[in-house]
Amino acid sequence: MSTKPIRVWLAPPGPNPWKVILVLEELQIPYEIVSIKFEDIKAKPFIDLNPNGRVPAIEDPNTGLVLWETGAVILYLVEQYDVVKKLTYGTVQEKSHVQQWLMFQISGQGPYYGQGSWFHVLHSEKLPSAINRYVEEAKRICGVLEQGLTDKRWLVGDKITLADLAFVPWNDRLDVVLMCPAECKFNDFPRVKAWHESMVARPSWEKAMENGMPKQVSNMEEYLAKIKVKKNTRAEAEGS
Amino acid sequence: MADKSDITLYTTQTPNGIKISIALEELGLPYKVHKIEFSKNAQKEPWFLEINPNGRIPALTDTFTDGNPINLFESGSIMQYLVSRYDTEYKISHPPGSREWYEMNNWLFFQNAGVGPMQGQANHFTRYAPEHIEYGVNRYQNETRRLYGVLDKHLDEKKIPYLTGEKCTIADIAHWGWIAAAGWCGVDIDHFPALKAWEERMAARPALEKGRHVPDPHTVKEVLKNKEETEKHAAESRAWVQKGMQEDADKLRR
Repeated sequence: MSTKPIRVWLAPPGPNPWKVILVLEELQIPYEIVSIKFEDIKAKPFIDLNPNGRVPAIEDPNTGLVLWETGAVILYLVEQYDVVKKLTYGTVQEKSHVQQWLMFQISGQGPYYGQGSWFHVLHSEKLPSAINRYVEEAKRICGVLEQGLTDKRWLVGDKITLADLAFVPWNDRLDVVLMCPAECKFNDFPRVKAWHESMVARPSWEKAMENGMPKQVSNMEEYLAKIKVKKNTRAEAEGS
Repeated sequence: MADKSDITLYTTQTPNGIKISIALEELGLPYKVHKIEFSKNAQKEPWFLEINPNGRIPALTDTFTDGNPINLFESGSIMQYLVSRYDTEYKISHPPGSREWYEMNNWLFFQNAGVGPMQGQANHFTRYAPEHIEYGVNRYQNETRRLYGVLDKHLDEKKIPYLTGEKCTIADIAHWGWIAAAGWCGVDIDHFPALKAWEERMAARPALEKGRHVPDPHTVKEVLKNKEETEKHAAESRAWVQKGMQEDADKLRR
């Protein structure tokens, strides 16, 4: 029986939905994107799927399951569809390490990079001690990854897993978090750089980005700049 | 019959640390406790970084089925390991692959990616930050309130005693220490009645009562009742948090 496409609800600008798309692409699972606007993620019908009002959420017509939280979603996709264990392992020891790095991504990299970009891109008032806090934390996280990749190409074992892929969308915009030119973002982290570059060169990431960025926008900075302009214009309009 | 375990838990008295001791108590597993002294920065010592390169608690070591040691970090993955390997009767989990298993993971990740980090930032700006930034305090207290609202509504509308139904699972255990410490970050639990009732239901569990006092007595609820005690506790924590931040920053500049 053929697999019916998995419906992925997302709002394009955020990095998190693209973790799920990457895994779907890597596993060649059919899917369809339901793209919603940023301002609609805390409204019906989306909050009926995810009461947290955050993207992504998935609906799997093959099993009837509705699921949200990227980490839970990609673990589900792999358990349900990755029968040959392309992106994970069947043994508890390796599987536990895959989950460990995934948890480090969702509770460490995601929240800290996210708050970092909030404080120096999206928030209008510049608060140096808050910005500094998240810049330092982002560097600390890269340091942990750098060490985790000592003498290794991948985080767990000798092949790429969902744990490696989970770090790609946020690391791809690390320059925004660190406020540095794109080519300098991995300056102190050569192993992280090689690891990241090998993953963004994969067809899965290229495909995800083809679908991903809203039209007329070529990269995240442009997109964030656009949001910023819109926000400033609105603030000015309200102020006048 | 579950495997024989040889577990050592590296921990300190924090909401993340007690997740593991509570889960171990619920499973009735024997374990050794190694207390990590934050005030002495033990979490950054080389031997501990070998176990957890992230320099955070909790971490756990065990003898794996192949006879070799296994090292684990990240509270969420440690709990998944414990139930995958030892919870053969599904006391605090659901059968892998079942709908409830995925829903349990859903709420577990919600805690680890949402409630934990955001309430943690609220603690930082409310209690530990080197300067008072009103915006930071409000931002994270409000985000914590929003996440509490999601939990409260879920429990209330579904009329369920625990997050995934009738059974207390690792998703509930992951949340408890944080919800019980709501007042520490300035959030009033009384605004979330269903969540408050859930917190009390959890607190009445004998295994939770035992597990929450590891490695030291869990006193946050009592501390919060006393303003002077609260400020004293905050000042002590502030000192080591700021020291640790400075050392991390210095190391990266080298």
